[in-house]
Amino acid sequence: MEQERYHRQTILDKFGQENQLKLKRAKVLVIGAGGLGCPVLQYLAAMGVGVIGIADDDHIALSNLHRQVLYSTSDVGKLKVSQAAMRLKEMNPEIEIISHHLRLNSNNILGILTPYDFIFDGTDNFETRYLINDCCALLKKPLVFAAVSAYEGQLAIFNTPDENGLATNYRDLFPIAPKPGEIANCEENGVLGVLPGIIGSMAAAEIVKLITGIGKPLINKLLHYNLLTNEQYVLHINKGIDYQLPKTENEILQTADSFVEINIEQLTALKLQSSTLLVDVRETHELPLLNTSDFKKAPMSSFEDFLDSDIAAKDIVLICQHGIRSQAAAEALHEKYGAAKNIFSLKGGIVKWKNYFS
Amino acid sequence: MEIEIITFGKIAEFIHKQQLDCSGIADTDGLKVMLEKAYPALANMKYKLALNRNIVQDNLPIQNLDSVAIMPPFSGG
Repeated sequence: MEQERYHRQTILDKFGQENQLKLKRAKVLVIGAGGLGCPVLQYLAAMGVGVIGIADDDHIALSNLHRQVLYSTSDVGKLKVSQAAMRLKEMNPEIEIISHHLRLNSNNILGILTPYDFIFDGTDNFETRYLINDCCALLKKPLVFAAVSAYEGQLAIFNTPDENGLATNYRDLFPIAPKPGEIANCEENGVLGVLPGIIGSMAAAEIVKLITGIGKPLINKLLHYNLLTNEQYVLHINKGIDYQLPKTENEILQTADSFVEINIEQLTALKLQSSTLLVDVRETHELPLLNTSDFKKAPMSSFEDFLDSDIAAKDIVLICQHGIRSQAAAEALHEKYGAAKNIFSLKGGIVKWKNYFS
Repeated sequence: MEIEIITFGKIAEFIHKQQLDCSGIADTDGLKVMLEKAYPALANMKYKLALNRNIVQDNLPIQNLDSVAIMPPFSGG
């Protein structure tokens, strides 16, 4: 280990070589290489965390760059995990970076999480957040949770016993996941570029505190931060009474996704199959208009009619403007057909893949 | 009886930080009913109350000058 690289932190009172070694021996998985994931990855790599995993299935978009500061304009269209891994290796060749180019689901998550000591959740949707929470609770993995919205952020540490042996999880805050579309995400709601930088940096600090044992990490506490006022509000979390966590690995596997979110390449591949029906759930006035011979129109305002009709196709792809309403439509179809049909929702919608649809 | 209401995220857009007269309200369950009646949008959202900075898991009595925070979930990354 290069002594000089970490000199300014190893000379710190209460840090020293001993804690630097703890960082070197730690394995941290960062889920989501987006606005929150970027600063977490940058600081963990710079500070010398020995093994850093990156799990993400997304490509870099121009609209990511105002907050996802690991990426350059020339990276647009490339895979986040590949670009992030390359930058981090340049930054610190002493550490190991492991890329997981995938979207976590109930089938793959346990295998991905198991080798790591600490998990960071910087994802952008409730479905994955609840899955990560439940698996971390089952595996008893310390989970650092961060989330942002507009000008505000949340930060907490779960599945880590406090001095009284109490360990809480996200369901102690919000027992049931909001439905798709119930709470706006960054794509719909907006987020100020620097906000995930602040919350992500605070999360990186909490991870380092957990690894080394310095200070007082936010165990069983939810920190709320307001960028506009610089106010912080800390809530104490205790055990909830109105939810159940999966108790076995099989129970996780049985919560298989009701539908799958796909990107444009997957849509293109599905479109080539005769068994696929592509459905546009936007209202009739919404632009751009799509070729109705390729995309069946079934607006959400009258989606019940579509649900009542006979659908022969085995694979159904739902699309809308931002990929939010299409998730609600996918849920409704899943409720009717269960495993009898494969249901897909185009992630990010027409806006995200506007070059394809123009 | 007066309590302080502190709100976050989307909830702060329709329930502002305020001193609320809640005479006749004995506990957090009663407060929820009152708030959801006064602000119907709240009834359609997931949220959690915190009484004096402690997350409310079961019904808790409310006293004069307590502070109640209303926290929505955030998903953005």
